[in-house]
Amino acid sequence: MSSVPISAFLALALILFCIGLYGALTKRNTVIVLISIELMLNAVNINLVTFSKYGVAPAITGQVFALFVITVAAAEAAVGLAILIALYRNRKTVNIDEMDQLQG
Amino acid sequence: MELLNLYQNNYLIVFVFLCLGVILPLVALYLGKLLRPYKPYDAKYTTYESGIEPFHDSRVQFNVRYYIFALMFVIFDVETVFLYPWAVAYEKLGIFALIEMLIFVLMLVIGLVYAWKKKVLKWT
Amino acid sequence: MDLETLLSYEWGTMAPEFIILGVATALSLLDLFMPKKVDRRILGWLGFTGILAAIVALVSLIGHDTTSILFDTFRLDGFAKAFKLILLAGAALVLLLAIDYEPKEGMKEYRGEFFYLFLTALLGAMMMSSSGDLITLFIGLELLSLSSYILAGMRKKNLQSNESAMKYVINGGISTAITLFGMSYVYGLTGTTNLKEMSLILGNIADPQHVYILGLAFFLIFIGLSFKIASAPFHMWAPDVYEGAPTPVTAFLSVVSKTAGFVILLRLLLAIFASVPVQGDGAEPLPLLLRMQDYLAFLAGATMIIGNVIALRQRNVKRLFAYSSIAHAGYILVALTTMSYFMFDAIWFYLLAYLFMNLGAFAILQLITSKTGSEDIGQFAGLYQRAPVLAVGMGIFILSLAGIPGTAGFIGKLNIFMGALIREPAHFVLVGIMIVMTVVSYVYYFGLFTQMFFRPAADDSKLKLSPGITTVVVICAAATVLFGIMPNLALDFFHQNFNGFSDFLQ
Repeated sequence: MSSVPISAFLALALILFCIGLYGALTKRNTVIVLISIELMLNAVNINLVTFSKYGVAPAITGQVFALFVITVAAAEAAVGLAILIALYRNRKTVNIDEMDQLQG
Repeated sequence: MELLNLYQNNYLIVFVFLCLGVILPLVALYLGKLLRPYKPYDAKYTTYESGIEPFHDSRVQFNVRYYIFALMFVIFDVETVFLYPWAVAYEKLGIFALIEMLIFVLMLVIGLVYAWKKKVLKWT
Repeated sequence: MDLETLLSYEWGTMAPEFIILGVATALSLLDLFMPKKVDRRILGWLGFTGILAAIVALVSLIGHDTTSILFDTFRLDGFAKAFKLILLAGAALVLLLAIDYEPKEGMKEYRGEFFYLFLTALLGAMMMSSSGDLITLFIGLELLSLSSYILAGMRKKNLQSNESAMKYVINGGISTAITLFGMSYVYGLTGTTNLKEMSLILGNIADPQHVYILGLAFFLIFIGLSFKIASAPFHMWAPDVYEGAPTPVTAFLSVVSKTAGFVILLRLLLAIFASVPVQGDGAEPLPLLLRMQDYLAFLAGATMIIGNVIALRQRNVKRLFAYSSIAHAGYILVALTTMSYFMFDAIWFYLLAYLFMNLGAFAILQLITSKTGSEDIGQFAGLYQRAPVLAVGMGIFILSLAGIPGTAGFIGKLNIFMGALIREPAHFVLVGIMIVMTVVSYVYYFGLFTQMFFRPAADDSKLKLSPGITTVVVICAAATVLFGIMPNLALDFFHQNFNGFSDFLQ
């Protein structure tokens, strides 16, 4: 059933991306920020898969690209969380606004 | 235009289900409140833990090792994303993809050996 | 695809990448299985040898024809060769710094990781410079980014290092997502990830609505990538990360990572957006890229102003160099904005000059800051009395960074000026901002200068030079002066061997 127009998917991706960007820029908790970044990357995935199915020239490349984005997002989240654990051991906080050692 | 109608009708069903989903539990809970007797005493307000007396805070901090394990799991779990399409299209891809995948798995094995040597896989 | 087609590719052209990959894998295994008491510095020397071997392999490939492997996912063209040389040279020098790096709490068991993470980051940067496919470019970008996140947080027990890594990851994640969102629109309008096919398809774009989406994609990609080159609007991470990260990593970020950022920016912008015709006010349709010039010019100007003005009030040397590196990114963006015939020459030469002058300065900075553990500008006081040779070396680097005649930095700036003025219409405003900001930069550069030569030292103990740092300082000083006096050495080499990048999209 292909009755859903392509613009709906794109709008969904755009809204998701904006929510993610808003969350990443405003939230205090680092874990939430990392989740927001995942949200933005998943918006990209929706875009890619939509274009690969309904785009001007449907091709499998978009889905391949989406696979790579998924893995890279996982790697990025893993590195981010690992660094957060290291930071938590030294500082005992996960709040971004308390990371204030470096400024000037 | 017809497509758009069809599209909107689809969402009408979703909307009906959404309303039903919200109303049903509300009605059920309200009916229960009307019917049940109300006689509170202290023991009734304690947390229910399968009949055992509750002895500490309900919010438990997990050991940080869980996170390390979870990180390891996520990485290796997501890497299978590449193995799956290869397995599905194995017949078509042929020897080239086989070699590529062998290299890929070899890299993963190196990662596993690294984790092993760094004693991430041990609990204690 | 069968084995025959597979073997028909010229895998030899990937030799530099294979060498780096092999050495990085070997180093990680060696680090795991070597006995604990063996000094891990030997791994650094192994890695250094590997990079030298890769440079030799690359130089032997310079005369090679343009080749492409697996539908352009890897391509060896003039552009790739020219910039890979800079990346490899920069990484080799950074590795020398890393071998001599000794923080107060010691490196303990992390020293091995230090070296092979540099190599994987280098591999990512090299893939970025020689790929013609959106997916591979993105993977290269992420390989570089992920490795540098870990490198920035290498001192696990040091709070500043943790914090800089965390800020780096968050900013990097947001910028990656923004770039990718732009890329996904470009993919959607063309249906391919191959840059060459993209430029063909976009050349015939007719729908004006699509052009608007492409404009949006342009901004998303540019803003996302401005994180890598540390320019406005994504520059705020730079001072914090530069300050907290270990000094060799800071040097790596400010030189190799920045070069890689410019490389991928050039590839994407020129391949995708230069071919889109836009019907403007005039009769002739202009490429989208040229229509965006005003916005690029604004960002370049903002970058220069922010970098130079905020650098004025820094007391911490690493932060000062962070802002100075933001300013230098702004200068190079001027060359990118003007898009003259000299654009490639100017950018390549400036990045080469910047490599030597900045790495040299960071070598001396590492020596001085690691001795006392303080990064205050006062540590440079009386350097001339304590170590005259070092002070003279640092003097050369600072003069070059400030752009005084006789140094490579001057020639680099001159090339950019010429490029901006030769265009019709000439970019007088941009050139004006650049000149004023260069003068502003004299204030903080010569502040360092007076500290070194005219202030009394706090302690008169002689500085002990280690072989790695000495080598870096000597090489960088020699190259800075050499390319300052005889810039034609580099420029002729560039013109003779890379055909002006005419094979950029073939």
